[in-house]
Amino acid sequence: MKYWVKKELKPPHGKVYIIKDRCKGCGFCIEFCPQGVLQESEEFNAKGYHPPKLVETDDKKCIGCGFCSLICPEFAIHIEKEEEEKDEKAD
Amino acid sequence: MARRIGVFVCHCGVNIAGVVDVERVAEELRKYPGVAFATTYQYMCSDPGQNLIRQKIEEENLDAVIIAACSPAMHEETFRSVCKEFFNPYRCEMANIREQCSWVHDKKEATEKAIKLVKATVEKLRGNEDLMPIFVPIEKKCLVIGGGIAGIQAALDIADAGYKVILVEKEASIGGRMAQLSETFPTLDCSQCILTPKMVAVARHPNIKLMAYSEVIDISGYVGNFDVKILKKPRYVDEDACTVCGDCEKACPVIIPNEFDMEKKPRKAIYIPFPQAVPSTYTIDREACLGLAPLTCAQCKDACEANAINYDMQPKIVEERVGAIIVATGYDLYDKNKLVEYGYGEDDDIITSLEFERMLSASGPTGGEIIKPSTGKVPKKVVFIQCAGSRDKQHMPYCSSICCMYTAKHALLYKHHVPDGEAYIFYIDIRATGKNYEEFIARVMEEERINYIRGKVAKIYREGDKIVVWGVDTLTGKKVEIKADLVVLAMAIVGRKETKEIAKLLKVAVDDGNFLKESHPKLKPVEALSRGIYFAGCAQSPKDIPAAVAQASAAASKVLAIFSKDKLEKDPLVAVVDEDRCSGCGVCVSICPYGAMQRQPNGKAKCIEALCEGCGTCAAACPSNNIEMRNYKDEQIEKMIEVIV
Repeated sequence: MKYWVKKELKPPHGKVYIIKDRCKGCGFCIEFCPQGVLQESEEFNAKGYHPPKLVETDDKKCIGCGFCSLICPEFAIHIEKEEEEKDEKAD
Repeated sequence: MARRIGVFVCHCGVNIAGVVDVERVAEELRKYPGVAFATTYQYMCSDPGQNLIRQKIEEENLDAVIIAACSPAMHEETFRSVCKEFFNPYRCEMANIREQCSWVHDKKEATEKAIKLVKATVEKLRGNEDLMPIFVPIEKKCLVIGGGIAGIQAALDIADAGYKVILVEKEASIGGRMAQLSETFPTLDCSQCILTPKMVAVARHPNIKLMAYSEVIDISGYVGNFDVKILKKPRYVDEDACTVCGDCEKACPVIIPNEFDMEKKPRKAIYIPFPQAVPSTYTIDREACLGLAPLTCAQCKDACEANAINYDMQPKIVEERVGAIIVATGYDLYDKNKLVEYGYGEDDDIITSLEFERMLSASGPTGGEIIKPSTGKVPKKVVFIQCAGSRDKQHMPYCSSICCMYTAKHALLYKHHVPDGEAYIFYIDIRATGKNYEEFIARVMEEERINYIRGKVAKIYREGDKIVVWGVDTLTGKKVEIKADLVVLAMAIVGRKETKEIAKLLKVAVDDGNFLKESHPKLKPVEALSRGIYFAGCAQSPKDIPAAVAQASAAASKVLAIFSKDKLEKDPLVAVVDEDRCSGCGVCVSICPYGAMQRQPNGKAKCIEALCEGCGTCAAACPSNNIEMRNYKDEQIEKMIEVIV
């Protein structure tokens, strides 16, 4: 047990949506994500660029700050914040 | 320089006279050129002894005096103040015929050596100049480094006496280790309850400038005039505007371990280490925060109604001049990863004493409940191991002084929480030397039925959900094997690594345990070798709260003694540089242990007299022989050697 507390603090989660074909591979989202959630993928999109992908298969590390969508010049990435009600149901 | 020198040979009871033929020493000296009078007496330092000196100075018309007795460290002050009534005190010298003669030699050689030592002192005395003390101005403001109980006490004592204090604390809040403790032995009163009033008093005191979340980065100067640079780290929260409502904390998405809870409780990147923190304000952890650029994440700023958050805050360097410095940097626990025999402390169920302290605390991660960390259940068998890293040549050779007491307290509190649980304590000896400590141990042993096992633990390992402890009971000679739910290591106490850095700035020595070295282990336990620097609390040696508080008050009284005068008087036995011949090589500047040698704009060396302790290192090191010590000039030393050899 990492923490000795009964109720662990849960960080908020965001779900990352990438519109691959809009991406022109500038890499801003990868560079500026404070949690390091994204990396460059090997696939090509319609324009011939490498769109980003998640570092881990699940996006647990994303806390939904939304900075990626704010700086993306092509509006190719956005975040949906996961609501906390879900967590309460799980409890 | 024809002087009429009087020689007074002390018997020191049998300390000197039992070995050295004192009458012969006096007789030989009477024949020596320059000596006008010589006599012996039982105890020169006694009142009649001092009166004898006074009487003979007048009767024999003496103009200089030699006392052949103990080390000048003992009584030079005594005899010089007698001589001061008649002539310059630097016409009084001591010849050490006790520590350096009678205590270490046999009869015949001792007498010969004593005669030579006194004759050599005559030669030195003839070359002495009349000196006047040096006066140094004092900045009547004190710097206290470290805001634990020792630093707090020292700051309050000095501030109450009416002098300004700057209290510098590295962490976000003052309080130190004592704030982390649950209850204090032997009275079991709540640690925070007795500490927080003092913390609040510090925050409110008009004479105390509290600089929390700050670090001392540079110290120069000397007693009375230290120049200090303090780095004020940015909190990114306005201390005065913050209302501690906690909205920012709720909004912050970053979760990391709280150091105050020994990393066993989570906190956010914007945090207050504990509810009673002083100064009462939130702080943004620069390392953990998503980005201080408000675009990235500004959830705390959005949530803050008081508008206290400012991401543009910059580190600030504050310069202050102070007259004295108290170092109260406290302690750390020995690194449990170094304890190979105890499984490197990697197991969840092997915890340190401070972690257990947080577990017991009502404001701690478990809310005061005792749990087995791996399962979260109540542990039914707990093993406490004393001297984990202490009194062990492979780790720390010294006794950490407080572990016997707090382990007894831990076991007692465990039994109060879990009455049907079993507690075992492995110990080497029980050292309960404080007031009411032994009674407390007896109470724990007898009333609480704690199993004390005298012996060391050889090995700890996990077996299923139990921790197996192998040890030996040295009283019965039998092996002991205990399958425990929880093991608490009473870790050795070491000085903080920051203490070493501060010590470097102050040019104070630290020992292997990172503890500051005092000037004299018995008679000057709070003073550093350099004047104006004092120690308090565990920075000097492991100690309990009453001892830390007592030492803090002692350090404060030393500071007040300095501040009670308008100017400091200092021994003028300092180095003198012959500037005309100085080549400006700078060897003396780099070698001076007190930082007293400084390079002038013209490249030549200069002795800051207020800093110089007269050790003579520079004089010995100067390649062109241009530095002399006052009253220890080369010709004096040469003549002394001539007489002795």
